[in-house]
Amino acid sequence: MQLQDHLPLQLHLHEPGLHSRPVMPARGAGRECAESCMDYLTLELVHHYRDAQQGPSLQAALDAVGERVGRQLAERYARDRPPLTEPLEAMKWLCKEFWGEVFRKPVDNLRTNHRGTFVLRDTQFRWLWRLAQNQMPPQLGLSLPPAVPKTELAADYLVLPCAIVRGALAQLGLDCSVAADAASLPQVDFTVVLAGGGTGGAGAAARGAR
Amino acid sequence: MIVAAAVIGPQNQPLYLATFVGEDDAARLSTAVHCSLDAVEERVGAGLRGTAPGDAPDAYMGLLATEGELRLYGYATNTRSKLVLAVDDPVIKDDELRAIFRRMHAALVDALSNPFYQQGTPLTSPRFDASVRTIATALGAS
Repeated sequence: MQLQDHLPLQLHLHEPGLHSRPVMPARGAGRECAESCMDYLTLELVHHYRDAQQGPSLQAALDAVGERVGRQLAERYARDRPPLTEPLEAMKWLCKEFWGEVFRKPVDNLRTNHRGTFVLRDTQFRWLWRLAQNQMPPQLGLSLPPAVPKTELAADYLVLPCAIVRGALAQLGLDCSVAADAASLPQVDFTVVLAGGGTGGAGAAARGAR
Repeated sequence: MIVAAAVIGPQNQPLYLATFVGEDDAARLSTAVHCSLDAVEERVGAGLRGTAPGDAPDAYMGLLATEGELRLYGYATNTRSKLVLAVDDPVIKDDELRAIFRRMHAALVDALSNPFYQQGTPLTSPRFDASVRTIATALGAS
C-alpha cells in the first residue's frame, strides 16, 4: 500500500465499486498485467507529447499511435467472429467485444440515425475514471490546483481512444471519423460518423440485392 | 497435400506466398492464386460467405476455382485479408481445411501485431513463415 502515497494528485485512493465490476476475460489470456500500468502509460503518453519541445504535436502523435494500435487490435479481436458484413454488425461488435477487451467493459448504450452516425455511450469510461474523480483525499490536507474544466483536461486524454476506435473500424473496411464528448464525466459519448453515410463495403452490394 | 499458401491484403495486394513444391512452380502458383481472387471478390461482393447459398455467413469460402489438378480454397477475414490454399489432393475435407485456415489466421494475426510491421507490405516474418509451413505440412502427416 505504500506506493499509493506517491500517486499523482489526480488519482483517487479509494476505488469503491470499480474493482468489483466483473472484468471481461481476455480470450486466450496468457499473461496479465495490472490495469494501472495501462493507466500510467496513457497518462504518460499524453504528458510526453504535450510537453515535448519538438517532434509531432500531441494530436498527430496520438492519432498515429492509436490508429495503428486500433488496426492491430481489430485483427486480433475480430478473428473468431462471424463475418461482420453490415456496418451495424461491425458497430455491435465494436460496442461489445472490442470495447470489452480494450476498455474493459462493453458500451452501455448505442444509438444510431441509421444513416451512418452512431453514438456510443460509456457511462463509466475506465480510461478517464480517475480524472472524473479528481478529488483530493482529505488526509493529505492540500487544496486542489486552480480549477481547469474537466472537459478541457479530458480532451487530451481522449485523442488516443478515439484514434484506436477509428483504426479498428478502418481495419474492418469502415472509414469514419470519431469524436468524444466528456461533458458529463465519467460518462463519455463517442460519436462515430461513417464515411459514405453508412453504406460500407460489401454491405452496399448486399443491400442493393435485397 | 497443400501445394501453396497465400495471404492477400485488403487491396488485393499479395502479402505472402509459400510454395511446397519445386521453385519453378512458384510463378504458376502465384498466378493461380491471383486468378482465384476473382472468385473471392464475387462471393464477398454478393454478401455470400458460406460454402453454399443459404449457408450462414462464414469466413471459410470453400472451393474457389480449379486450375488443372489444382484446387484453390479461400477464407476471408473480417479485416478484408484473404487466405488462399492451393491443394492437389482431391480428397481433402472441408473441415480439415477450415481448421488449417483457422490456424493460419491465428498465425497471421500474430504477424500483423508486430509493431515493426508496415501494413500493406509483404510479410517477411520468419516466424510466420515457419508457422505456415508447419501448419501446411502437418496435413500430409495426418
